[in-house]
Amino acid sequence: MRRRFPWLSYLVVVAGALLTVVPFLDMVMTSFKGPGEAGTLPYRFLPKAFALSNYRAAIEQLDLPTLFRNSVVVTTVITVSVLLTSSLAGYALARLRFPGRDLVFRLVLSTMMFPPFLFLIPRFLILVHWPLAGGNDLLGRGGAGLTVSIVALAVPFLVNGFGIFLTRQFMLSLPDEVLEAARIDGAGEFTVWWRIVVPQTKPVLVTLGLLTFVDAWNEYIWALLVSTANPDLMTLPVGVQLLRDHVDPARTMPVVMAGLVLSVLPVLVLFLLLQKHYIRGVMLSGLK
Amino acid sequence: MTPSRRHFALALPSALLAAGCAAPHRGTGRPGDPIVLTLLSHYASGTLHQALKGPVDEWNATHDRVKVRTKAVEFTDLLTTFMVRQAAGQGADILHPYCLWNGQLVRAGVLRPAPPEHAERIRRDYGAAAVGAVTVDGTVYGYPTEAQTYALYYNRRLLREAGIAGPPATWPELEDAAYRTTRRDRYGNPLVQGFGLSANDDATTVGQTLALLHAAGGRFVTPDGRSTAIDAPAGRAVLALEHRLVTRGASAPAVNVYQAFPSGRVAMVVGAGWWTGSLRPLMGGDYRDVGVAPVPVPAPGARPATLATGFMLGVNTASRHPREAWEFLRWLNADRVTARNGTAATRMSMLQVSAGSLTARADDMRALLGTGADPNLRPFLDALDYAVPEPNGPGAARAKTLLRKNIEALWTGRSSVEEALRTTRRQVDQEVSRPW
Amino acid sequence: MVNVLTPRSPERAPDPLPGAPAGHGRRRGRHRETVVAYLFLAPALLFFAVFLLLPLGFALLLSVSRWTGFDLGAIEPVGPDNFAALLADGSTFLVPVLTNTLLFALGTVALALTGSVVVATCVDRLRFQGLWRTLYFLPIVTTVVAVGNVWKYMYEPGGLANGVLNALGLGSVAFLQDPDTALPSVVVVQAWASLGSAILVLTAGLKSIPASYHEAAALDGAGPGTVFRRITLPLLRPSLLFVCVTQFLTGLQSFALITVMTRGGPGDATNVAALEMYRLAFDHGDWGTASAAAFVLFAVVLVVTLAQLRVFRRAGEDA
Repeated sequence: MRRRFPWLSYLVVVAGALLTVVPFLDMVMTSFKGPGEAGTLPYRFLPKAFALSNYRAAIEQLDLPTLFRNSVVVTTVITVSVLLTSSLAGYALARLRFPGRDLVFRLVLSTMMFPPFLFLIPRFLILVHWPLAGGNDLLGRGGAGLTVSIVALAVPFLVNGFGIFLTRQFMLSLPDEVLEAARIDGAGEFTVWWRIVVPQTKPVLVTLGLLTFVDAWNEYIWALLVSTANPDLMTLPVGVQLLRDHVDPARTMPVVMAGLVLSVLPVLVLFLLLQKHYIRGVMLSGLK
Repeated sequence: MTPSRRHFALALPSALLAAGCAAPHRGTGRPGDPIVLTLLSHYASGTLHQALKGPVDEWNATHDRVKVRTKAVEFTDLLTTFMVRQAAGQGADILHPYCLWNGQLVRAGVLRPAPPEHAERIRRDYGAAAVGAVTVDGTVYGYPTEAQTYALYYNRRLLREAGIAGPPATWPELEDAAYRTTRRDRYGNPLVQGFGLSANDDATTVGQTLALLHAAGGRFVTPDGRSTAIDAPAGRAVLALEHRLVTRGASAPAVNVYQAFPSGRVAMVVGAGWWTGSLRPLMGGDYRDVGVAPVPVPAPGARPATLATGFMLGVNTASRHPREAWEFLRWLNADRVTARNGTAATRMSMLQVSAGSLTARADDMRALLGTGADPNLRPFLDALDYAVPEPNGPGAARAKTLLRKNIEALWTGRSSVEEALRTTRRQVDQEVSRPW
Repeated sequence: MVNVLTPRSPERAPDPLPGAPAGHGRRRGRHRETVVAYLFLAPALLFFAVFLLLPLGFALLLSVSRWTGFDLGAIEPVGPDNFAALLADGSTFLVPVLTNTLLFALGTVALALTGSVVVATCVDRLRFQGLWRTLYFLPIVTTVVAVGNVWKYMYEPGGLANGVLNALGLGSVAFLQDPDTALPSVVVVQAWASLGSAILVLTAGLKSIPASYHEAAALDGAGPGTVFRRITLPLLRPSLLFVCVTQFLTGLQSFALITVMTRGGPGDATNVAALEMYRLAFDHGDWGTASAAAFVLFAVVLVVTLAQLRVFRRAGEDA
């Protein structure tokens, strides 16, 4: 089977790849189209002249510094938190012996079973009625709760059952000798974790961090809800969607596309640089 | 072991959770500092945004103790924004809801009843349709602001080219004109629609249908608000008319009418008065082709009727300064000022007219539109006398959405007229009869 | 909450003295290990308690309550009324909302699975596998707002999709405006966006099949089709199951793409259960019915997932 040149396979794969890439190219091309060029018949792929006016308009209409800052802060907080909590909990579940371990592990597994939409309403209401935050009294009434703070955007994603599972699996395979040697030297468990386990598990942490980062950057529904409550907390995806004019969507499409290019670029670059780790993460998720 | 790192690891979540403990921004509350009232509306962009800015700036310049700050979102996001911000304890002091939502907002405890002296003034100064729209279960909840009535927009040039002298006054004339003006290219893409049907959102889709329904003497919901009356002969006639227009190709609901009409690709469309304000700048010189006529009636000699919708300004139950808020609303909506040309009217009336829209204060409107105004606004103003408000019970917004879905199912050939009527009745009755 | 997190530091506990009685030391060591373990687990467990269990209980309470306001004190338990309203005659929740949800998920799975099997088997024979993988992966790392808007624009009368149709001499299609094509059009986008990870999982599955199996079959005179049917597919079953289950899960609950592209329209043509839940809650403040809708969808998700596991297990026994 190997001997012949697999032209049919090439045909299928190249056609599929084109189908995948062309929408992105269309996005970029449209973002350079001038007024009256987009959405008119007949369709033209290339812009007449590469106009930068849409980018200027997108930057003018959006509070880009705020949007970027919110997105970066939230994404960073989520990623750091997921890495820390996953590594800590994963280490405990993999390498420490204590009563209730199997129960806790089963709990962690079962958290992956509950789809996020189930928590949308109650989590929002819990944040709103968070005691003593945002002007609330002890019973969580009278104020805005945590929705006044950028914390609200990150909260549902701070801990990730899959992350705990992933790090645990990886830590199971760490050689005993290294850990034991450290313990005999009198190191506390925290030191063992921080000085030995974390460096040894760097590959899985990089992968998990990248998966978390991309998901957090792209998150839409929760960010939409929170920034409807408090527009100061708008993230890039939510903000760009606002560029769309509801009365006349075609007119604003090039500006929207320019905004989208700006918002997609950071993750795309990150992905292209670190794709090896990211792809390994997706493969590892097949272990579930 | 480095304690600082350990502290970092364990303190991070705590810090995160504690970070949000600042109170939301509601002014400082110190004696002597001004009270800040927030006003949330959909006047997010364009002329209405500018028009509202005028009086608000004037108020802020002339009042030291109470300041007003406006916030705005797109109309499509307005109801969600009211509800979510209210849930989050961040509702604005003054709200500018679409009157359709009043029942829902009252049920949810968002709107504060107007104090007696305001309620009295509102009942006295505004037309019956407007007062009905701001009243829920006999209680008045706010000052009617923007009043919209529906009429027939038509493109003079397209009618003339098809050999039609003037706008249709009856449904048979309307259908005839629609078929004669329709044109398509060789792929079947519509070049000119005879009669545009907007599938843009609830407001426009249902608005044009209810305008035709009212013109045929029908009603969407029974007077007690507990069931629908759409499956009466009038409702059947309206849906059948729209269905014919679609199946015979005169209407292409897939095409966005709000883009197609200004570019001369729609001959006629039923729309609300606010549109004149955006058509004029959008079309430039071509705007002289645009005419407006009353919504056609089923047969010659029938009584005219159409749909009236509107907005109101009300005060949030959660506002800490209701007295100041009502005081501002009185200043904006009831106090009369004299314009440069000598006519006296309320600031709200001037604001609306300057944006090409209307209020339901007929006296103001006649004074302001007396000379030099866009003659296309006249039919909308005349309609204030005979237009019928849309229902505003607690389930009204859902009922309107349900009606819209069934209308669109009909337009797109998914259901017949009879099926659309039947499912609308079943669905709307189930919705409006729920015990709240 | 903050107090609970302030560590009773394990390191400050006195270390067992060297030379202390062995049994005592081990017991203390055990005890200490338990304390350390739970300290390590504390952030995660606390999170699960506050943002998983508590909301779950709250959602359950809401689903059997009438609550249309914002005052927590006004929650009024009414029993199964909300579920009854969702399933009542004239309610749109079962038909078309829930049927749309199922069709959406089913369509996505069918498209993504077929596409990924074809592409994965083809890629397996090619060079530059890394390049292909990167290209197919682009949609996955792109925000749904971008994916939705780009495709929405491509589906417009003046967009790329209709441009191609017109160039081929075909008439335009009102993809998202015509209710007959709206749902399939959105399904295509969802499948397009999830193809990359499916291909990846299947490629990994293919790589784990020993080449000797194929060679042995080829020696026995089996054609490529037979080899694929008899050897590749059965051995790929775990990967296929994984792709199937995860895509179904995603499909049943996703509404971000639909929010961006159609907001559930035209009519109810692309309205799905999670979107309906969002609207009931945040447009209409009907928290009770919205929560009930969430649990109905959750039940559907569970049933569909268990059914798949069972079907695949049975298929495995038959093989």
